[in-house]
Amino acid sequence: MSRHVPEADLALYITGDLSLWKNAAVTVHTAGCEACRQRLDSYRRSRLKLKQSAAELPVGEDWDRLAAEMTANIRVGLAAGECVAPRRTRTGIFVHRPMAMWASVAAGALVLIGAAFWLNLPASDADSLAHAARILVHGTAHTVGTTRGATEDRGPVVEASADGVALRENGVAVSIPEAASRPVAVTVSAPGSASARYVDADTGQMTITSVYVQ
Amino acid sequence: MCSKYWIVGLTLALAAAAQTPITKIDLPKDKDAPLTLVSYDSGESKVTPRGGAYLVDFHPTLSLRNSSSKRIRSVTLVVEASENTTGGKASVSVPSLDIAPGDTFPLHINQTLLCPAPGNPSVQVQLDGVLFEDLTFYGPDRLHLQHNMTVWELEARQDRKFFKNLLENSGAQALQNEMIESLARQAEIPQPNVQMARGRATTAESGQDMQFAFLHMPDSPLEITSGMAKISANEAGGPRFAVHNVSKRPVRHLEIGWILRDQDGREFLAASLPADLNLAPGQTGQVMEDASLRLTGRGSIQAMKGFVSSAEFGDGTYWIPSRAQLGDPALRGVVAPSPEEQRLSSIYRKKGLTALIEELKKF
Repeated sequence: MSRHVPEADLALYITGDLSLWKNAAVTVHTAGCEACRQRLDSYRRSRLKLKQSAAELPVGEDWDRLAAEMTANIRVGLAAGECVAPRRTRTGIFVHRPMAMWASVAAGALVLIGAAFWLNLPASDADSLAHAARILVHGTAHTVGTTRGATEDRGPVVEASADGVALRENGVAVSIPEAASRPVAVTVSAPGSASARYVDADTGQMTITSVYVQ
Repeated sequence: MCSKYWIVGLTLALAAAAQTPITKIDLPKDKDAPLTLVSYDSGESKVTPRGGAYLVDFHPTLSLRNSSSKRIRSVTLVVEASENTTGGKASVSVPSLDIAPGDTFPLHINQTLLCPAPGNPSVQVQLDGVLFEDLTFYGPDRLHLQHNMTVWELEARQDRKFFKNLLENSGAQALQNEMIESLARQAEIPQPNVQMARGRATTAESGQDMQFAFLHMPDSPLEITSGMAKISANEAGGPRFAVHNVSKRPVRHLEIGWILRDQDGREFLAASLPADLNLAPGQTGQVMEDASLRLTGRGSIQAMKGFVSSAEFGDGTYWIPSRAQLGDPALRGVVAPSPEEQRLSSIYRKKGLTALIEELKKF
C-alpha cells in the first residue's frame, strides 16, 4: 500500500463512524500496513485512557460545554484535513483502483459481445437457447413464445406461414425446408405435414418440400 | 479426468462440425425401376452439433435419368436422417415434369434435418413415388402422396388446356392478360399463419362447437352435409364431417379444404383434411381428424368453411374442381392456383410471353 489511511478516517474507524465501504477499506489496509496499524493502536489506547480519565473526572464539570468544544475542534480538524488533502476527481476511482476499471471494461465488452452474438444467431438457434434458458429458470419445458413458437408445450407441430414451413417441438424449429426465395404457397395437412412450394428462379422448376410430425 | 472428457468431446464436436453427412441414395434397382442416379453433388451440405443431436443442412443436387419406357410427370423422394426422431424426415416432390425415356433432369434438395447422436450423421434419400404420363404410379408411397401427385398432374393438364385454348382462340394478348391477373391474384392470396398438432385436441373438453359453412361444387361427387370443430379462441380441434356420396360410383378417398376467418375478417385456406373412406353411391359417412389447428399470430377464429377439394373413385379415377368452380368469389381470393399455373406464371414473369408460349407447346 503506497498511501496511508488519513488521520480522520482512523479516528472515525475506531468509533465505528466510517461508511461500510471505507470501514472495509481501512480494515484491509491496516492488516497489511504496519505504520497505520501502530497509529490505530495508539488511537485505541488514547481512547481507552480518555474513557478511564473521564470516569475519574470531578463532579460538577460543565460537560455540555466540553462536548461542544470537542465537537468544534473535531470539525476544525476535519475541515483542515480537507484543505490540505489532494482533490479527487471522478476518474480517480480508476486511477487508484485498476481492478475496478478492468472489471467495468470487461463487463461492457461482455454486454457488446453478447448483443452481437444474439443478433447474429440463426433464429432456430436463438429459439433453442431461449428455450433452454426458460427450462433453467423455470425448471419446466413450457415456452412463452408467440408467433415464433407454440404458446405452450404441445409436442411436435407443423407450422406454415408466408416465410415457409417448419416442424417445431416445444417451440424449437427442428426441421426446415430452406430455399433462396420465399415459397409461392404453403399448406398444412391434418395428418401432420406442412408443405411449401418453391419455383426455381433459373430453371422454372416447381419443387414442393414437406416436413412431417412423424 | 474431467478435462480429458472435455477435450475428447470438443474434438468430436469440431470433427462433426467440419464434416458433411454420410449420404446414401437408395433408388430401386428392379427391372421396372424408373429412375437411375447419374451424378450427385453434395453442394453446401454440412453437419452441426446441436445438444444431443446433429443438425444436418442438406443441399445436394441429384441428376436422375428416366430409365422407364414412359414419360415421367412427377417424382417424390423421401429424405431421412432418422426414422424415429422428430425432425428426421422430410420429402421433396417435383410436379409438372415432362421427362422423356432416357432423358436426365436435376433435382435439388434444400432441407434441414435432425439426426440423433452419437453415431455418424447420415442422410438416406429414397424414392417414394413416380407418376407417369398415363397416371400410373411406381413406388412404395410411404408418405401417401400418390393422391396429391395425381391431383397436381390433373390440375396441370386442366390449366395448360385452358391457357392453350386462350392462346388459340383469343391470342397472345389474352394469354398475357390472364398471366398478369394470375400473378396479381397470387400476390393477394393470404398465406396461413397456423400450426397443426396431431392427437392433442386441447380444446376438445373446454371449447365450444362451431359449425362449418360449406361451399358446394355443382359436379362434386361428394356433398358435405354437416361439420363442426371445437373452438377455443385461436384453436380449432377435432374437426368432423358428414359426407354424402351423390355420385353413381364408390368413392375411396377425399380431401377437404378448411378455410378460417379470423377476427380481422381475413379468410385463408388454413389446412387440408385428407381421408380414406369407402363410400358407396348414396351412402353417408363420417370423416374425423384427431388434430388441432391453431392460429400462431394474434387473433381468434370467427368462422369456418369447408369444401371438397378432390376425390378419388373406387376405380382409381379422380375428380377435381374445374377452373370455373375455383373462380367462385368464395374461393378465388383464398385458394392458391395449381402448382402448374404458378410455374407457368413464373416463367412469364421471368422470361416473358414468348418463353411461356414455347413452354405451353412442349405439352
